[in-house]
Amino acid sequence: MSLAVRSQGAPHPGEMLRQYRPPPDVYDEMFSAPGEVRPHWQKFVAALEDLGADELKRRWEQARRIIHENGVTYNVFGDPQGMDRPWELDALPLLLPAAEWSALSAGLVQRARLLNLVLADLYGPQRLLQSGHIPPELVFPNPGFLRPSCGYRAPQDVRLHLYAAHLGRAPSGEWCVLADRTQAPSGAGYAVENRIVISRMLPGVFHECQVQRLAPYFLTVRETLKGLAPHHREQPRIVLLCPGLASPTYFEDAYLARYLGYTLVEGGDLTVRDSRVFLKTLGGLIPIDVILRRVNDADCDPLELRGDSLMGAAGLAQAVRAGHVVMANALGSGLLEAPALMAFLPGLARRLLSEDLLLPSVRTWWCGNGEALAYVVDHLDELVIKPTFHHRSVRPVFGRQLSAEARAELIGKIKAHPRDYVAQEHVARSSAPVWTDAGLQPWHVALRMYLAAAGDTYQTMPGALSRVSESVDVVGESLLTGQGSKDVWVLAEGPVTAVSLLHPANAPIGLRRSGNDLPSRVADNLYWFGRHVERADSIARLLRTIVLRLTSESERGGLAELGLLLQALAEQGAPAPESLPQGADKLPASAEHEVLAFIFDESRAGSLRSTLKALHRVATTVRDRISLDSWRTLNRVEQDFPLAYPLQGMQLSEVLSLLNQMILNLSAFSGLGMESMTRGPGWRFLDMGRRLERSLHMISLLRSTLSAVSEDEPPLLEALLEIADSSMTYRNRYLTSLQLPPALDLLMTDDTNPRSIAFQLQALAQHVEHLPRDADQPHLSVEQQIMLSLSTALRLADIGELCHIDHGGHRQQLDRLLGRLAAQLRKLSDSVSHKYLVHAGPARQMADIRPGANA
Amino acid sequence: MNYKVSHTTVYHYGETVPICHNEVRLTPRHYGGQTCLSSRLLIKPQPTKIEKRLDYFGNHVSSFTIEEGHQKLSVASVSRVRVEEQAPPDPSAGISWEQLRDQLPGERSPEGLGAYQFTFDSEHAKTLPELAEYAAPSFTPRRSCVEAVLELTHRIHADFAFDPTATNVNTPVVEVLRLRRGVCQDFAHLQIGCLRSLGLAARYVSGYLLTTPPPGQPRLVGADVSHAWLSVYCGAQGWVDFDPTNDQIPSTRHITLAWGRDYADVCPIKGVFVGGGQHHMTVSVDVSPLQTDALRHA
Repeated sequence: MSLAVRSQGAPHPGEMLRQYRPPPDVYDEMFSAPGEVRPHWQKFVAALEDLGADELKRRWEQARRIIHENGVTYNVFGDPQGMDRPWELDALPLLLPAAEWSALSAGLVQRARLLNLVLADLYGPQRLLQSGHIPPELVFPNPGFLRPSCGYRAPQDVRLHLYAAHLGRAPSGEWCVLADRTQAPSGAGYAVENRIVISRMLPGVFHECQVQRLAPYFLTVRETLKGLAPHHREQPRIVLLCPGLASPTYFEDAYLARYLGYTLVEGGDLTVRDSRVFLKTLGGLIPIDVILRRVNDADCDPLELRGDSLMGAAGLAQAVRAGHVVMANALGSGLLEAPALMAFLPGLARRLLSEDLLLPSVRTWWCGNGEALAYVVDHLDELVIKPTFHHRSVRPVFGRQLSAEARAELIGKIKAHPRDYVAQEHVARSSAPVWTDAGLQPWHVALRMYLAAAGDTYQTMPGALSRVSESVDVVGESLLTGQGSKDVWVLAEGPVTAVSLLHPANAPIGLRRSGNDLPSRVADNLYWFGRHVERADSIARLLRTIVLRLTSESERGGLAELGLLLQALAEQGAPAPESLPQGADKLPASAEHEVLAFIFDESRAGSLRSTLKALHRVATTVRDRISLDSWRTLNRVEQDFPLAYPLQGMQLSEVLSLLNQMILNLSAFSGLGMESMTRGPGWRFLDMGRRLERSLHMISLLRSTLSAVSEDEPPLLEALLEIADSSMTYRNRYLTSLQLPPALDLLMTDDTNPRSIAFQLQALAQHVEHLPRDADQPHLSVEQQIMLSLSTALRLADIGELCHIDHGGHRQQLDRLLGRLAAQLRKLSDSVSHKYLVHAGPARQMADIRPGANA
Repeated sequence: MNYKVSHTTVYHYGETVPICHNEVRLTPRHYGGQTCLSSRLLIKPQPTKIEKRLDYFGNHVSSFTIEEGHQKLSVASVSRVRVEEQAPPDPSAGISWEQLRDQLPGERSPEGLGAYQFTFDSEHAKTLPELAEYAAPSFTPRRSCVEAVLELTHRIHADFAFDPTATNVNTPVVEVLRLRRGVCQDFAHLQIGCLRSLGLAARYVSGYLLTTPPPGQPRLVGADVSHAWLSVYCGAQGWVDFDPTNDQIPSTRHITLAWGRDYADVCPIKGVFVGGGQHHMTVSVDVSPLQTDALRHA
């Protein structure tokens, strides 16, 4: 089809495509020749043209906002401190016709079956070594060869449950496998996320093109994993074991766990007793049947495997051998990731399957073979050189990019240790149009396709994750390389039926209510999350009131209350109070500066910014526990904050509106939490954290402003009511006369005011009643005792006496009561943490016994 | 000779350990001239269950979990072992070391592959040019493998001082080579590294020595504690043990517990625990000859 040229308004999609110039020596996914769109793209291009450029642009901007708000990130540097790189998705999907995909799928299914058989042999009789089909040099020194897994009898002889292959298309149009991922393939979750974004952005186009759905693949994954359970076969407990927050794939781990309906756990959540694996939860130990692992082989068990890893659980390998738990993939499956093995796959296919390999691998030469070595040395310029065993930190070397000197050096190294090197042909991968600011650019494509075991064969995900890069030299083996990604549309030959993961099969689902199976670590994180949300809110409210007074300072003669408020801020670690003389007619000019620093300076302890940072960090740990809407609201809190400090010409009035917006967002978050979180133990711990923090803040605020009498108290009371969002209630009740007793009642003892201390204590008491505990225990728990003493102290308090001023000008009774409440609340926090949250510290290794030396 | 071997390790913790997982290799192997007549483990606090298996290298492994809080863990192993004297290999006969080196990579029989796997680097015994260089003077052209290895054993014994303070369990071999001192574990790793650097197959052996020597013979270094030496694949002569710490080919005074690529494969007691605070351990080993009569009643 030739593209019609139209020339009104913004560049039309057709116009943009007309200007697209694929590079000459590669295969282009969309164009067979300049201006000639390949047949399977024609419907798509036509639909895009109907949409028009402006509409497309508008929708794309909206889609990008969704990505941003959903916070899809790939944590490239494994740094939880905020080096998250946003996931770059391209607006245009990559289209694959049904027939082409079927051929690819058939090739990959064969490959997965083959690799599974190779694993069974290498971890079993090792006949392939004896017959010479695999050189022993690729097995014995292979760091992926886990000797503790030898002899393990895998259920149904499947060790490779999930498999991913990297593919590239050569200029000839042929696809080939660039790399195999066999231990814990990542990226399928991103494929789903990409699909959701693009199909929502282009619903009409998506429908018209008859795109195959991804969900059936995940149903298979679920069925397969369920079928592995050695016990509780009706409702097996399956967990997704992830390396934790610092992992580059944490977002995806959390996303997949939620999508598949599994509990997301870290090594520390698991414990092994008598060769059985348990999840440590609030209510006790819960047996686990299947572990979908995203942790590398060697990190799974510090007892038998890598001793310094904290990502696994001691005794896991033994539990697997004993057959009480099944891991997907089986421990040791990473053995097959060695690129050198690709050179031997054709022979292995004939030997093990009596078939020819349907889908070729990238041409591979293992230098341990004499002929291959000679070839590699002669053709270095055409090849990419890699270490024999896949290694994350070693980058492949392109022969043609080497200087003469570096080239000679490399050849010397290869000749000295030929076994350690493998060479592969460089595939000039195909191009596809990527929407950039400079129009459509031809970027290079790599596909990552996913397979799951299904009975005695495999099922391929009808779709893929496509990575695109501007340079053809990026090998595209890792999710880290490349600059962006594309959704991949596998076109169906007929109408597509929609399948959703949320309504699987026809089998009725047993009703469940969330109980005490919440991992202790998650409860701990939710508790601290609650505390941080509230801390941010309390500080923002206090700051807003201060900034409000700073901006309107000319209207007032005395600034007594401002001094006191700044002092309250100081209790949070803000400016030293002596630099702010109380009751001074004029505040030092530095006050404004100090307040700004307390808002924006991250290095300042307790500052709003550092609180938000901490909030963000802890929020990431509970990402799979809070709703998407809540997450978006929370993300907005962070985004609204300007990045640079010191600030470039920011006015106090702008700061004020910033704080207003933040308080609004935090309120929205709290509202969502109230509305959409089930009242399970997770919510209880989150809310407990909030209530505790809120009461501690109120106590601290009242103590630092009211313990000593100040000259003119009404403005101060007004500020306090404002911070506690209670001015309206006060006015309604008492009209305008501002006096301490009614104000104190409203802020402390009135249990109908959601910001009063009494209200928080009431909520806390309810949570404490619901904490899991031994039902036979006849006495009150420690937490119940603390709560009883707290509410009694507050209920017995007499407002009149609390307002009493001694001759030194102090409200001693008020101060003493607040002090007591704060101490008891801290005790409650310690007690809850100790009992429910921190189950155990990190695992440690026993001291080594050193032969020949008496210890 | 029949021996009774007692090996007791006690761990003391400053704070309670709520749970620990252990894996021990304390049961002597059956092989060649060595027969393990009986072996039992006494663990306190008592674990609910001890799982037994053979590991990849055929060593006996027992694993157990202590689920009750404890501040002291004691692991005692008591075994009765018969060691029969084997004809020592003839150093002047047998395959030359170069021939062996060239044959190993082509081995495809299970036994041959079983030997070939010990030519590769492992965590504690890697091939290094420095080690090849150190070994070279003993590996003259066409020399028999046994003779060359025996001379290397002799040289290590002469060049290196036994000094438990010079190294620790993580000291790399290259550092041991520089310091010229260490303990039996260091010497075993060093010699294994030398042999692998030349393309030969060598494995690490963990075991014990007779505590009190027979009358008139010197007490060997490494008695009282667990000992380590190495075994080298010598073609038709099979696997031959060498003890660089005592400059000899072990005969009836060495008792083999386990073997592997290096110490990490055969560590007698491995454990992962939680809590515990400060901890320390004590080890005692006793190997004494057993009267045949006493054995009958045992």
